[in-house]
Amino acid sequence: MFFDPNNTEKWNLDSAGDLYLSTIASIMRILVVDNGGQWTHREWRVLRDLNVESEIIPNSTPLESIKADGLVLSGGAPRVGLDSEKMGKCGEYIDKAGIPILGICAGHQFMAMHLGGQAAPSKTAEFGKMLVMVDDEDDLFKGLPDTFVAWESHNDEVTQLPPDFVALAHSDTCQIQAMKCSTRPLYGLQFHPEVEHTDSGYEMFQAFIDICAQNKKA
Amino acid sequence: MFNAEKFIEEQIKKIRQDVKGKAIIAASGGVDSTVCAALVGTAIGERLLAIYVDTGFMRKGETESVDKMLRRLGVNHRVVDASDEYFDALKGVTEPEQKRKIIGEKFIRIFEREAKKFGAEFLVQGTIAPDWIESGGGLRDTIKSHHNVGGLPKDMNLKLVEPLRDLYKDEVRKVGRALKIEVAEKQPFPGPALAIRVMGEPTRESVAIIREACAIVEEEIEIAASKGKMKLPWQYFAVLLPVKSVGVQGDIRAYGLTIAVRAVDSVDAMTAVYSKIPHDVLETISCRITNEMKAKVNRVVYDVTNKPPATIEWE
Repeated sequence: MFFDPNNTEKWNLDSAGDLYLSTIASIMRILVVDNGGQWTHREWRVLRDLNVESEIIPNSTPLESIKADGLVLSGGAPRVGLDSEKMGKCGEYIDKAGIPILGICAGHQFMAMHLGGQAAPSKTAEFGKMLVMVDDEDDLFKGLPDTFVAWESHNDEVTQLPPDFVALAHSDTCQIQAMKCSTRPLYGLQFHPEVEHTDSGYEMFQAFIDICAQNKKA
Repeated sequence: MFNAEKFIEEQIKKIRQDVKGKAIIAASGGVDSTVCAALVGTAIGERLLAIYVDTGFMRKGETESVDKMLRRLGVNHRVVDASDEYFDALKGVTEPEQKRKIIGEKFIRIFEREAKKFGAEFLVQGTIAPDWIESGGGLRDTIKSHHNVGGLPKDMNLKLVEPLRDLYKDEVRKVGRALKIEVAEKQPFPGPALAIRVMGEPTRESVAIIREACAIVEEEIEIAASKGKMKLPWQYFAVLLPVKSVGVQGDIRAYGLTIAVRAVDSVDAMTAVYSKIPHDVLETISCRITNEMKAKVNRVVYDVTNKPPATIEWE
């Protein structure tokens, strides 16, 4: 018998728990807004793996209850161009939260539409492996290769950038794979940096965490 | 990063707080439920009883080997043979979601019976993150209804305990290694078992065919991996397709079924790429299947689809 149910004392340790709590004070808090995506929980996992305090919150959460250093608007099932009312309070968060926001997939498309751009059904959908080409390294792709493998899962895409936004990357079948606002810390990614198969996904999340940290100091 | 030792400590504390009476655990012999059984067993000892249900859809030799493994693990367990019940319940059922829901419900009713016998107030399941994520709910689309996320019927008095809900398989394996569980490295196997590897009605006959084919795929891939010819895939199996095609076997016309071989590489099952199996290994698999099952199967194809857009299993 490899374990003896009568000898379980070795698991009664509290010291590890105390050490963990004492380091939380210096940790960033970035919440994941759940828009019904398959990889929303992965977004939470990556943030947790990068030592960020994170929680998944419904997209109906009132703005006043949000205490965070940054927000990730997750991917989702809603076809944003057709049923944007399923995106809950994402519009309010973008307008009033005053912290850096990263929109992923549906989150990115919604951000574009909400701020005066356009999103529409893609001519060619992208599922799984795609090659993404960086047009502008900026702060999100700093130090990363010009071309990387990214994992997609979208039927729609951003077809027109909002005013004050620039495109940072594209793929053969999707012109706007990444975008950022030049006047506020708002970012959008069409692909999914949070899945295992996207190259340098963790690095991109770390870049966003650094942006949140800098914004916090300012 | 995920810390298995810390997770184990925290969970044992939580389980001791939450589970005051007796509990039964749904134990399939798979990674998740075995790791869960060891975790909960460490926390509450003799108050836990593991229930293994033979649905009639298990792989070749599986029931015997799981029985032995649970014995070695040291968890009290019972093997319940419910194959007649399951085949009856799935008579004429071809739609994948219906199959999954019926199987899930049957499991719950069997656990209800066993819990009553044991005097348990709690039902423990080794449910992990992809299970509840893919089962949908609210804004989230239902990709597929996982057998362990059907929810407990309102008339049931069992309380559900799922210590691994936030974990992905790679994290469960880390917990398994920390607890020194022999099945920590085993490939994932769906709860509905071979019932969802038959496209169409899972009859005793069709399940027998896919049971043989899965055994051949597993054997040949494991041999090839042990010889260093290829990396062991994340998940590797066969699927029986309802497509018939023409063949020629021994100078006679054949009109037989098709088997699709499926193998993927993944870390957490949420995204996957099809395995680049060397052609000679694929050929060995193909020849063995059509030679050994010649009366039924005369064609073998290989699934070259990533996830997304496909899922790892076919149903």
